Amino acid sequence: MSINKVNTHIIPMEFEYHAPTTLVEAAGLLEKYGDEARILAGGTDLIPHMKQRKVEATHIINIKKIPELACIKETSEGIEIGANTKLRAIELSPLIKEKIPLLSEAAKTVGSVQIRNLGTVGGNICNASPSADMATPLLALDTIVHVYNREGNKDYTLEEFFHGRGEVKLEPGELLTGMTVPLQPKNAGMAFEKVGWTTFDIATVNVAAVLTLKDGKIDHCRITLGACSPAPTRVYQAETILVGEEPTQELFDEAVYLIAACVEPRQRWRRAPPEYRRKASQALAIDAMTRAIEQARRLAQ
Amino acid sequence: MLYGRVLKSPHAHARIRSMDVSKAEKMGAVTLTPDEIPDVIYCPRLVSVPEATYKDWKVLTDKPHYVGEAIGAVAAESEEEAQKALEAIEVEYDVLSASFDALDSMKPEAEPVHDEIYLKDDLLKVENNIGCQLAITEGDPSALEEADVVIERTYRTNRRYHNQLETKSVMVRPEADGGISVWSTTQTIHNTRLLLHDIYGIPMGKIRVYKVALGGSFGSSIHVNPVVNIAVGLALKSRRPVKMCYTREEDIRDHCAYQMIFKLKLGANKDGMLAGGRLEAYLDIGAHQIQAYPLLGCVVGWWVSLYKLPYKDYVGKAVYTNKVPSCAFRGYGNPQISWVVETMMDELAGKIDIDPLDFRLKNYIGEGDLFWGQGPSVKSIIKSCGVEEILTKGAEMVDWYNRPNPEEQTGRYRRGWGVGRGYHTSSAGAPVPSSIVDFGGAILKMNEDGTFDYVSALMDHGCGTQDAHVKIVAEELCVPVDKVNIIRGDTGTTVYDVCTHASRGVYSGGGAALKVAMKVKEQIRDFAGKILDAYPHAVRIRYDEERDQTIIFAEGIEGREVSYREIAETARHKNWGTAAAVESYRQPSCPPHFTGYFVKVEVDTWTGKVKLLRVVAGADIGTVINPMYAAGQVHGGFAQGWSMTTLEDTPYDPIDGDLVNRGSIANYKVPTTQDMLDIDDLTVFFADTYEPTGPFGAKGIGEGALNPVAGTVANAIQNALGVRFFQLPITPIRILEALKEKEEKK
Repeated sequence: MSINKVNTHIIPMEFEYHAPTTLVEAAGLLEKYGDEARILAGGTDLIPHMKQRKVEATHIINIKKIPELACIKETSEGIEIGANTKLRAIELSPLIKEKIPLLSEAAKTVGSVQIRNLGTVGGNICNASPSADMATPLLALDTIVHVYNREGNKDYTLEEFFHGRGEVKLEPGELLTGMTVPLQPKNAGMAFEKVGWTTFDIATVNVAAVLTLKDGKIDHCRITLGACSPAPTRVYQAETILVGEEPTQELFDEAVYLIAACVEPRQRWRRAPPEYRRKASQALAIDAMTRAIEQARRLAQ
Repeated sequence: MLYGRVLKSPHAHARIRSMDVSKAEKMGAVTLTPDEIPDVIYCPRLVSVPEATYKDWKVLTDKPHYVGEAIGAVAAESEEEAQKALEAIEVEYDVLSASFDALDSMKPEAEPVHDEIYLKDDLLKVENNIGCQLAITEGDPSALEEADVVIERTYRTNRRYHNQLETKSVMVRPEADGGISVWSTTQTIHNTRLLLHDIYGIPMGKIRVYKVALGGSFGSSIHVNPVVNIAVGLALKSRRPVKMCYTREEDIRDHCAYQMIFKLKLGANKDGMLAGGRLEAYLDIGAHQIQAYPLLGCVVGWWVSLYKLPYKDYVGKAVYTNKVPSCAFRGYGNPQISWVVETMMDELAGKIDIDPLDFRLKNYIGEGDLFWGQGPSVKSIIKSCGVEEILTKGAEMVDWYNRPNPEEQTGRYRRGWGVGRGYHTSSAGAPVPSSIVDFGGAILKMNEDGTFDYVSALMDHGCGTQDAHVKIVAEELCVPVDKVNIIRGDTGTTVYDVCTHASRGVYSGGGAALKVAMKVKEQIRDFAGKILDAYPHAVRIRYDEERDQTIIFAEGIEGREVSYREIAETARHKNWGTAAAVESYRQPSCPPHFTGYFVKVEVDTWTGKVKLLRVVAGADIGTVINPMYAAGQVHGGFAQGWSMTTLEDTPYDPIDGDLVNRGSIANYKVPTTQDMLDIDDLTVFFADTYEPTGPFGAKGIGEGALNPVAGTVANAIQNALGVRFFQLPITPIRILEALKEKEEKK
């Protein structure tokens, strides 16, 4: 009888609302309520999910009152971004635009300005949606995520963090506090490409590329693909054949063949069939690599 | 006030064995079941005469015919409580088999969606799930058979959701006298009253339906929306005011456009003239008839009124399926049929080796020709036509004759130009009565300070229709627009107007506005004549900007002048009465407004994405009453047409019979402004025409703005890729599939 239950207007169940102001307090609540609790950050996924009854949590823990969770700052390790940082802040941050423009470019493609003003980078990651537009570029940037529980902090690579279909590595009592994007190689060119049906749409396919050139040959290389398998994928096979070679059309054609091979069809893919995703992933990968190389060449001059 | 919620069928076709509402009632909710509603079978759209009105609806049904159909309702103190009560209702079903395609539904083995329906008050047996049909033939079939070139194709349109800004909503207040007051999303307050009277038997004077500003409707409230009838049932039972707003998920399962399957055959001769055509149209109407029969007439009307066909043969069938009921959607079948005809015109032009634009110019129906407007029962002669001006001017602006040849381009990005024509009737007026009601009315009175109050039942959907009426009244009375007030009326304070639909707001509604303005002006002249000791027919009128007054004067005679304000004051002091008029008005014609669009696209053959580069849109709407609003209609019509062509559809999941998008608007994409082209690249121009039957020469624009888009865009894509599409929407997925197929054929 889901037709009489599911809508995006009414939340007919009762829940208790918590607004901790410290990480210790938040982790305590998460530990105490376990599966009954859900974290509220931007709410752009949680609230619709509650209305659609995908989530029937009895404890809602708002982490927006914890000040240190929203930040963008430069550290010795790289750029640190708090989990509660709005996507719009990432899009507009001068620091990000200067050091990791890829992230600003990707943030700009998420939904509308209204959604980006609400949605957070932590939420985008923790939902572990295969089509999350931040996950693909963060993966290409070798991002380390920071998880907190009352015993202390844990760090994971993004690949470790996405440990299954729609799931992230968070135990009861744990929350994502933020992430660090390591300093990128000097003169790295980077590009993000996405295809969706409209500008507000989630990705049908997205691709990120981070490349550097050394003596005219590809040196550092990261190629990641989103929305084509249970979690965003780093395409090692493509990276391997690219590194140490001159960026030519033939080389790219060979690489995108390997990228398209990473498309893992899901049984209930309603948006687009595997055939389309394969074809589009090749197109986007060519575009992303071409733009990244052009940028790397410009920076090398 | 109580909040209502509707209980919906989870099955595409079923009989309800039992419904237990006791748990919901224990929670304090008021419940409503099918047996508590008067047993009336009705048609929710009351625009046609009874002889052309098919009835198969009940307020709440015990035999749901599609996923989402209303089978019960609850009302409670809050929406949350109502939702909880709704979930507590227990229903047992006997599930029946269902069909989701019009062609399957007509097969003998298909389960009947309805066994019996009514035409007027006569019981009809439904055979092969065909709800109604229409056949028309004119001319000599040999003209088609002997034509130099004949093309025959099958086309399938998409099933679009209106996606109007607000979901269908209503507020009903039971009154002490046994009557009700109703505020609802509707395009017609008077037909809402008529239907509520028919269902609930409340005397008409005790039903007050109030005008409410609409956030768009696009035809989805020409009929009385089901939620209105349900809320009335809840309010009458609870004796409390009841408010109901559909959720978006309910709204997507409430109404959609007619999906059509066409088999079209067109013939042309080497001299560039069309020889004839044959059209089979299968309308997948969903589970109920709203206006399927008049639509069968319109489909043939739209088809034969684009181009001259010496021979025409038409069969149209409206087929029941277990899907959301279809209703009018901006263009009422015309965008669908125009896509098909405009696509085939391009193909035919190629076959007889004539430029597609020249082919259109040779064959279009224009001034002096008979126009079928709203189908075979609504015919009038065209008195104004800007087709040639639109096409020749547009062609010049886009350098049409130098566009690329299809097949010539290689490489990833390919560009193409397309042309397409469209038109739509303005109202369903005609010199003789037809099966469609089309008249309106208005009230105008002069206030005691010389300003005016204008009262009309005609709904404004946010298109500025009433604003146009004010301009018409002000022009006739020679006053600035701020002297004319719009009074928001209700069924008790207005005279009948059929509906704001059929692009009739300005032409037909504005005709009524002009008529009352002329009557009131006559009375003002009479009053002025008395005051000035002058002959009423001889006095003249001018507006004096300095005094901000309209002055009536006897030309050349000094001192013989009087202002509107003085006239109104004198009329009161001398007990002459109020200068006022109430009139009904029927237009004698249904003049087509014409459109012709040129579109340039760029197709990314790697992703299948189509980008708009340039649009030149010409429109003949007679006198342009408000140039910005009229251009806005073209912008909106173009965007909606672009969306129809490239994005929208509501396919069904045959396993559970529900929409594949599950009612989620996030899974029903429409373009935003960012997906359209830069506004500077969209040029709108108007032809210099004057419609002699229109108010100050005006015609409509609302629907003609959308009708040519799908054909134009499809032709542009063909020009870019050398591939034709016979199914809408033309999505990136379909484009890549078609390109692959083309590649394989090579």
